[in-house]
Amino acid sequence: MNYIDTLLSLVLLSILFSFGSSRLPVLIRVIGFQGVVVSGLPLFIGNDHSLGGMAFSLITILIRGLVIPLCIYLIIRRVAIRREVAPIFGHHASMLAWLGLIAAAAFIGNKFTLPVATQNVLLMPTAIALVSGGLFLLMGHRNAIAMVLGYIMMENGIYLVGTTFSSRTHHIVEFGILLDVLAGVMIMAIILQNIKQTFDDVDTDLLQTLKE
Amino acid sequence: MVELIALIPFITGPMAFFLPRSAGRLLLILTGAVHLLLSLLLWTYRPLPMLSAYFALTDVGLLSLLVISLLFFLISFYTRDYLKKSGIHFENVFCGSMLLFLGTMTLVTLADHLMVMWIAIEATTLASAPLIYTHRTAEALEATWKYVLVCSVGIALALLGSVLITIAMDVGRVDVPVSVSALTGEAGNLDPLWLKIGFVFILVGYGTKMGLAPMHTWLPDAHSEAPSPASALLSGVLLNCAYLGIFRTHKIMTAAGLGAFSGRILMVFGLISILAAATFIVKQNEYKRLLAYSSIENMGIIAFGTGIGGLGAYGALICLIHHSLIKSALFLTSGNILLNYGSRLLKDITALVRRMPGTFLAFCGGFAGISGFPPFGLFIGKVMIIMGAFRGGHYVAVGIFMASLSVIFAGFANHTLKIFFMKSAAEPLPRETAGMLLPQYLLLLTSLILCCWMPEGLSQTIRNAASVITPGGF
Repeated sequence: MNYIDTLLSLVLLSILFSFGSSRLPVLIRVIGFQGVVVSGLPLFIGNDHSLGGMAFSLITILIRGLVIPLCIYLIIRRVAIRREVAPIFGHHASMLAWLGLIAAAAFIGNKFTLPVATQNVLLMPTAIALVSGGLFLLMGHRNAIAMVLGYIMMENGIYLVGTTFSSRTHHIVEFGILLDVLAGVMIMAIILQNIKQTFDDVDTDLLQTLKE
Repeated sequence: MVELIALIPFITGPMAFFLPRSAGRLLLILTGAVHLLLSLLLWTYRPLPMLSAYFALTDVGLLSLLVISLLFFLISFYTRDYLKKSGIHFENVFCGSMLLFLGTMTLVTLADHLMVMWIAIEATTLASAPLIYTHRTAEALEATWKYVLVCSVGIALALLGSVLITIAMDVGRVDVPVSVSALTGEAGNLDPLWLKIGFVFILVGYGTKMGLAPMHTWLPDAHSEAPSPASALLSGVLLNCAYLGIFRTHKIMTAAGLGAFSGRILMVFGLISILAAATFIVKQNEYKRLLAYSSIENMGIIAFGTGIGGLGAYGALICLIHHSLIKSALFLTSGNILLNYGSRLLKDITALVRRMPGTFLAFCGGFAGISGFPPFGLFIGKVMIIMGAFRGGHYVAVGIFMASLSVIFAGFANHTLKIFFMKSAAEPLPRETAGMLLPQYLLLLTSLILCCWMPEGLSQTIRNAASVITPGGF
C-alpha cells in the first residue's frame, strides 16, 4: 500500500469517527482534515505540476481545510449553539451503517476500472464513501449544523472524484466551483445564525410550520 | 456583446445595495430595459461570444434568455409599485438580489461549458436566497433554509453527474473541451455507462432545482414565502434555468444514441411530478402554494414532453414559454390579493370579482391560461405533447397524463371559483394601480398573441431546439 492509500484509509476512518462522535467541534475537525487531504491529493496524483496548479491546490487546501470549517466553528461560538448532537439512528446503528457503506463503496469502486485508480485502489471507494457518508450525516441528524457538515463532506467527496479522476477542467472553472461552495457555506452559516436567534435552537424539528 | 448582457446586472446589482429606495427601484427598471434590448440584439445578430470555450448562443438558450428579459422588464415595473405598497424594510437588499439573480440566470442561458453551467445554476440559488428571506419571518427563514439546503445538495449531485461525464470522456478517450457543443459532436465516442450514470445524477440534481417530484419539497415553501415579484421570477424563469441543464444533457444523450434511455427517465419523473401536484392541489388551502404546485405540474408536463421527443418536445418548449408568461402573471396577481386581503388562505379571499375587478380579470385570464384553455399558448403545447405521446405509442403514460390534468383542473377550478364568486358583505377594496395590473395584462396578452400568431423566426428556433433532443431529428 502506498502513502496515498494510507492517507485515503485515514479519510475512511475519519468518516467512522464522524458517525460515532456526538460533539460538533470534533465533526468540524474531521471535515477540515478531509478537506485538506482531498485538496492536497492532486499535488501527488495529477499530471499538473505547474506553478499555477500548485498555487491552486494550496488555495483549495486553505479554503476546504481551514476557511470553511472555521466559518462553521465561528457560528457555533458566536451564537452559543449546544455542542452535543445525537444522530437519529443512534451511534451503534451509525457504526453499522459505516461498515455497510465501506463494503458497498469497495464493491462498487472495484466494479469500475479507471486508468488513474489502478495505482491507488482506495481512491474510488473513498470518494463513494465520502459522498454517501455526507448524505448519511445530512439525513441522519436533526441538528442543522450537522446537516451543513454532511453537505460539506459530500462536496469533499465530489471534489475527490473530480480532480483526481479527470484533469479536463481549467483552474479558473474549478476556482468558480470552489467559490460557489464557499459562498454557499457562508450563506448557510448566516441562515444558521438566524435560525438560532429566531428559534433559540438549531433543531430542524422546529422548522416544520410549512409542512403540508 | 454576449458577455455584456450578463455583466450589466452584476454591475448594477451591487450598486443597488447602496442606493436610496427610489433610485434602486429605477435601477431595476433601467437594467431590465437594457437587458431586454440586448436580448433582442443577440436574437437578431447572434454574435460569437468572446469566451467561446465557456459560452455559446444556442437556440434553447436564446429562447430562455428572451423570456427572462421580457419577464424581468415587466416584473420590474410591477416591483416599483409593489415595493411602495408593501413597506419591505431591506429594500436595497431586495433590489440588489433581484439584479444579481438576473445576472446569474443570464449566465445559465449562455453557458456552454458543463461546469460553468453548474456554477451559474448554483449561483442562482445563492442570489435568490435573500429574496425568499425578505419578510424576515420565522416561516420565511424556514423556507430559505429548506431552499438553500435542498437545492445545494441537489445541485451538488448535478456536479457529480457533470464530473462523471468527464470520466465518460476519459474512458472513451475523447479529447475535446467539456462543453455541450463539443460533447454533442463527439457523443458517439463517450463511454455509454458513465454517460448514463452522469445523466441520472444530473437529472436528479437539476431536477431538484426544477421542482420535479419527489425532489420538489423546497418549491411550495419558497414560492409562497417570497414576495410576489420574486415568486414570479422563481416560478417563471428560475425553473426554466434548471430545465436548461437537463435539456442540454439530454441533448448529449440523444447525440450518443441514448435518447430513449434519458427520455424514458424524463417521462417517469414528469408523470410523478404531475401526479404529486394533482394530490396537493386538490387539498390546498393557500393560493400561493396552489400556484407553486401548479408550477410543479407544469415542470412535469415539460419533462414528460421532452422525454417523448419530436412533437412532444416541440410542445414542451411551447409550454416552457407560455408557463413562464402565465405563471408569472398569476404570481404578480397573487401579490395584489395578498396586499389587499392580508391573508394567504384561500378561505379568506371572497368576492374577488366585486372587490378587486382588475385583479379578478388578471387572475381569471391566468387561470384559463394555466388550465390549458385556448386561446392561451399552453393549450397548443399540451395538445402537441398528447399527440406526440400517442404517436410514440405511450398509451398508458398519456392516459395517466390526461387523467392527472383533469384532476388538477377540477381542483384548481374549485378553489378559484370560490375566491372569485363566494358572496361577501365586505366593501370593495381600494382600486389597483395601473403599475400593478398592466404587467400581468401584458404577459397574458403576449401568451394570447403567441398562440394565435407566432413569428416564423421564433417558430423555427423552437423547431431547431426540439430537433436536437429528438432521436432521428424532428
